Amino acid sequence: MEHSENVLIIGSGVAGMEASLMLSKAGKKVTLVEKLSLIGGKTIKNEETYPNMDCSTCLVAPIQQEILQDGNITVLTSSQVTAVSGDAGDFSVKINKKAGYVDLVACLGCGMCYPVCPVEQINEWEENLINMKAIYVPCAGALPNVPVIDADKCLHLNGTDKECNKCVEACMFGAINLVGEDEQLDIDVGAILIATGYDMMDISILTDLGYGKYPGVYTAMEFERLFAANGPTEGNLVMRDGKTVPSSVAIIHCVGRSESHYCSSVCCMASSKHAHFLRHKLKDAKIYNIYSDICLPDKTYQKFYEDVKAHSSQFIYQSDRDKMKITEKNGKLKIEYLDSKEKSAFLDVDMVILANALKPAIGSDELGKVLGINHDKFGFVEAQPFNIGTVVTSKSGVFVAGCAEGPKDIQSSIIQSEAAVAEIMSLLNS
Amino acid sequence: MSDKIGIYVCECGPNIASKVDIDKIMEEISNLEDFKDVELVVRNHKLLCSVEGKKFLENEINENNLTHLVCAACSPRDHDTTFINVCKKTELNPYMYQIVNIREQCAWIIPDKEEATEKAIRIIHAGMDRVLYQQPLEEKQLDSNPDVLIIGGGIAGMEAALKLASRDRLIYLIEKTDELGGKSAKLNQLLPRQGVNLNILHQKLSNIKSNKYIKVFTNTELASIVGFLGNFEIVIKDVKDPENTTELLAGAVIVATGYELLDATTLDKYEISEEDEVYNALEIEEMISKNGKIVMKNGKEPQKVAVIHCVGRSEVGYCSQTCCSYLLKISKMLKEQSSKIEVVELFKHLCLPNKQDEAFFEQVKDKDVEFIRIKDVNVTGTSIELTDISDAKQKLDVDMIILGTAMIPAKETKYLAEELKVELDEMGFYQEAHLKINPISTNTDGVFVVGGAHGPTGISESMLQAQAAAGKIFTQLIPGQKIIPEVKVSEILEAYCTGCKTCLDVCGFGAIYFDEDKGISVVNEAICRGCGNCVGSCPSGSIRTRHFTNPQLYQEVKEALR
Ligand SMILES: Cc1cc2nc3c(=O)[nH]c(=O)nc-3n(C[C@H](O)[C@H](O)[C@H](O)COP(=O)(O)OP(=O)(O)OC[C@H]3O[C@@H](n4cnc5c(N)ncnc54)[C@H](O)[C@@H]3O)c2cc1C
Ligand SMILES: Cc1cc2nc3c(=O)[nH]c(=O)nc-3n(C[C@H](O)[C@H](O)[C@H](O)COP(=O)(O)OP(=O)(O)OC[C@H]3O[C@@H](n4cnc5c(N)ncnc54)[C@H](O)[C@@H]3O)c2cc1C
Ligand code: SF4
Ligand code: SF4
Ligand code: SF4
Ligand code: SF4
Ligand code: SF4
Repeated sequence: MEHSENVLIIGSGVAGMEASLMLSKAGKKVTLVEKLSLIGGKTIKNEETYPNMDCSTCLVAPIQQEILQDGNITVLTSSQVTAVSGDAGDFSVKINKKAGYVDLVACLGCGMCYPVCPVEQINEWEENLINMKAIYVPCAGALPNVPVIDADKCLHLNGTDKECNKCVEACMFGAINLVGEDEQLDIDVGAILIATGYDMMDISILTDLGYGKYPGVYTAMEFERLFAANGPTEGNLVMRDGKTVPSSVAIIHCVGRSESHYCSSVCCMASSKHAHFLRHKLKDAKIYNIYSDICLPDKTYQKFYEDVKAHSSQFIYQSDRDKMKITEKNGKLKIEYLDSKEKSAFLDVDMVILANALKPAIGSDELGKVLGINHDKFGFVEAQPFNIGTVVTSKSGVFVAGCAEGPKDIQSSIIQSEAAVAEIMSLLNS
Repeated sequence: MSDKIGIYVCECGPNIASKVDIDKIMEEISNLEDFKDVELVVRNHKLLCSVEGKKFLENEINENNLTHLVCAACSPRDHDTTFINVCKKTELNPYMYQIVNIREQCAWIIPDKEEATEKAIRIIHAGMDRVLYQQPLEEKQLDSNPDVLIIGGGIAGMEAALKLASRDRLIYLIEKTDELGGKSAKLNQLLPRQGVNLNILHQKLSNIKSNKYIKVFTNTELASIVGFLGNFEIVIKDVKDPENTTELLAGAVIVATGYELLDATTLDKYEISEEDEVYNALEIEEMISKNGKIVMKNGKEPQKVAVIHCVGRSEVGYCSQTCCSYLLKISKMLKEQSSKIEVVELFKHLCLPNKQDEAFFEQVKDKDVEFIRIKDVNVTGTSIELTDISDAKQKLDVDMIILGTAMIPAKETKYLAEELKVELDEMGFYQEAHLKINPISTNTDGVFVVGGAHGPTGISESMLQAQAAAGKIFTQLIPGQKIIPEVKVSEILEAYCTGCKTCLDVCGFGAIYFDEDKGISVVNEAICRGCGNCVGSCPSGSIRTRHFTNPQLYQEVKEALR
């Protein structure tokens, strides 16, 4: 075994971070590749984490800090794996690190550079709910707290205005350099862990539900950002107009479940959490959860759900989740659904939150081809054989953990990650 | 050697420099009345945490032969470790250094420059007072034993044993019954996504038999255990002959004692007895193992069977997660036995959290199994009264009822938890160190909980948890490597301790034991985490936590509040 001390981890959500730290403690050298400019995955989008409503930052920030300071872990943000060759114990990996134009060491994260930038663009990390500049960190508290420049949008870099140098002038630390190129890195590793997580299903295709058509309709992740103190509204629960406070909200479970052909296993709890959030901020609002099944897969979850049912929301059963229709009239959203007697029923609300299905992370297909691994029929990474208690993929030396393998909550993601560490340690020490 | 304190004020670029008066700080700190007999080196730097700044600090420590160091900079969350690492490169013991946060606590929160400067001077002064009372601490290295004790020989325990066993790591697997396999060995089939057959289980059983690094003890239970990560002293006993004990040494413990099924006869809504054709699903699995098929007590095949979900769920207060899928499997087995058997599943919700189980549900529905979504159900013998989701009442008389009863903690859980100093959660399962981010570990370092012992789980999840425990052990307990316990731990001063035992209950980590001979409490430094809980609890003030002693804290607070 030539490179038995080195491990490549792709994706820096809870699963990727846990494995990085454990392997580092055992003396392994880890390269953690993250496609975004910040580490932490989806969990840092959540203000609080069910079922104990732990503050997510308090859970994750110490882990992020530890990773960034760990001498055994090389964190490559804005990076993608582009080629892999070799076999278990001896892989050669090519990584493309996008130019960020800001020096990671020199930058202090003071934030003086973004206000001066004249460019406005949509902030995708904030679920498109707000704009950001061409030089940006996606949200307050991002780690590493170092901005990057979007070369396609920057006036200087895309050639629109070669004179623009505003951010460079604003930076007192000389951290910005508008000359830069993508870096191609070659590393050799003994094992690879895929921890690329999930993305949310695009539900604009479910035209009956009105997402993208009616401004009052939100996705679950949009709502997470709306509630977050570091989010686009600084945690104020207002609608897209920036001022209207909703007085009635319906949360719809199982959106896209029929299309994806599996239960996403986190959305019942996430939707209960959303009802809890709403009640917390809007004492008098009418809150409804419209469900077709309730899936609470942890010993601690039912208690939380019962509590939400008792104090925060009215749970309404719909007998056919494919028959729901949402329309808008005079600014009110009208939900038509089949009730428990399979009769049409109606509900008028200001706001609708759609708990949409979890899907394989965007780009999983390409990554799968680069790695030479199999996916299941849903597009998640397939664990072999028969998916019975294993994190081993179809390719020896390549492992999977967290939502990259299928939808699951934080603790189940971490358990898989720790299991993958066992496999990696066994492989590297053999 | 006389004291020589180095005080380094970081400007953090303009972050600190533009909001406080650096020159004034330097001036006042250099001329403090109560430090006029102490040698001081007071310097500022543009960016102490930069590569160049760290080099500067290292040189300063060496060239000035500093005995104490104070860095007035940012939050310890940002750069405490940075400066500790600088100390480690020099002769200066890192516990002789103190960080003072003049950025978040002064520059960034006090708009008035003069006020911010005043506060900065005051807290730097406090840091100097404190640092003089600090003492060098040394890390200890303890030998550790890489071997592992696994309690419970079900699928979780077996999986952990197989993952961990190797030439340099022996596994002791103890099982209280006379056979390995646990509940899984009683099953006839697994789920479609698990490949249906039980080959995987049989394979594991034979792998364990042939693995010379796994020592299996059947009919065996834990008698006692003391120790800590790396060094546990264990006594096991023969279930049938409790006087017959064996002593073992191990570095870690995995608890894999599984679950039990709730007794449905204890439930108000179930008026059933032994004579009735009412079985829990595990009894059905055992029946198939014995008779090859599902039959009534009279040996005949039932014509109509009701399968009831969520039995006892509201009583225990949680969903057992596995029963929806294994009850689908039971219906499938009934239909495979004879397509003529009428099967109706009475369920409240379908909980199918695995991505592949929805397809299984569709498959069972296609086998002509009827599904009724219920709100409530009452069972008397094999007569069922139900209220369905639309509030319609219905009576159902069937030949046989199969129950999906709640999974509950195994019997000895409480006893084992006390022995192992692991807490139980409100449901009676072992409590994890942190539900979300440390789900396999417990409050006791070196003790892990996996499988049904942890809470309701299927075989796949139990195996993953077992592997996770193996991952933890592979990275925490490396053969031949020493263990370095926390340095900032508590100690009990023998002369002051009155032996009241108050601290014993306060310590959540079981780090304090009572020395009967001396009549005093003693902290086991290898277990103590330095949380300080015991310090406040001791009525005679005989406990102190290193690096956080009363004089150290007093010095700091005295100046800060003056
Ligand atoms: C609305 C909502 C609320 C939720 N709330 C909770 C909750 O309260 N409690 C709870 O337990 N769970 C919750 N969950 C589930 C939780 O988000 C997941 O369990 C968790 O994020 C999974 O972690 P992960 O590391 O597997 O994936 P992720 O968090 O998705 O992280 C994956 C990382 O990989 C990166 N990545 C993806 N592709 C690539 C690539 N090709 N190359 C490099 N990097 C890549 C991504 O950018 C990301 O940083 C919620 C889910 C949703 C949808
Ligand atoms: C009817 C039924 C069908 C099921 N079908 C499936 C299925 O198809 N697929 C699936 O994934 N899951 C299924 N399950 C769930 C499966 O049984 C559990 O996931 C699995 O058994 C958990 O394994 P375990 O090792 O944690 O616990 P157990 O199987 O309970 O094993 C625990 C072991 O520890 C021993 N033990 C207990 N206390 C002590 C002690 N104090 N000292 C020493 N030893 C002790 C016990 O004797 C036992 O051998 C089913 C469950 C039931 C009830
Ligand atoms: S101004 Fe300079 S130091 Fe401040 S955040 Fe921007 S790049 Fe970093
Ligand atoms: S050069 Fe101009 S446009 Fe480009 S990031 Fe800087 S301020 Fe924005
Ligand atoms: S977790 Fe709940 S909301 Fe999500 S798909 Fe499953 S049943 Fe539907
Ligand atoms: S898994 Fe299904 S049957 Fe079991 S408790 Fe949960 S919802 Fe009820
Ligand atoms: S400091 Fe905390 S861990 Fe240590 S002995 Fe006291 S209570 Fe226990």
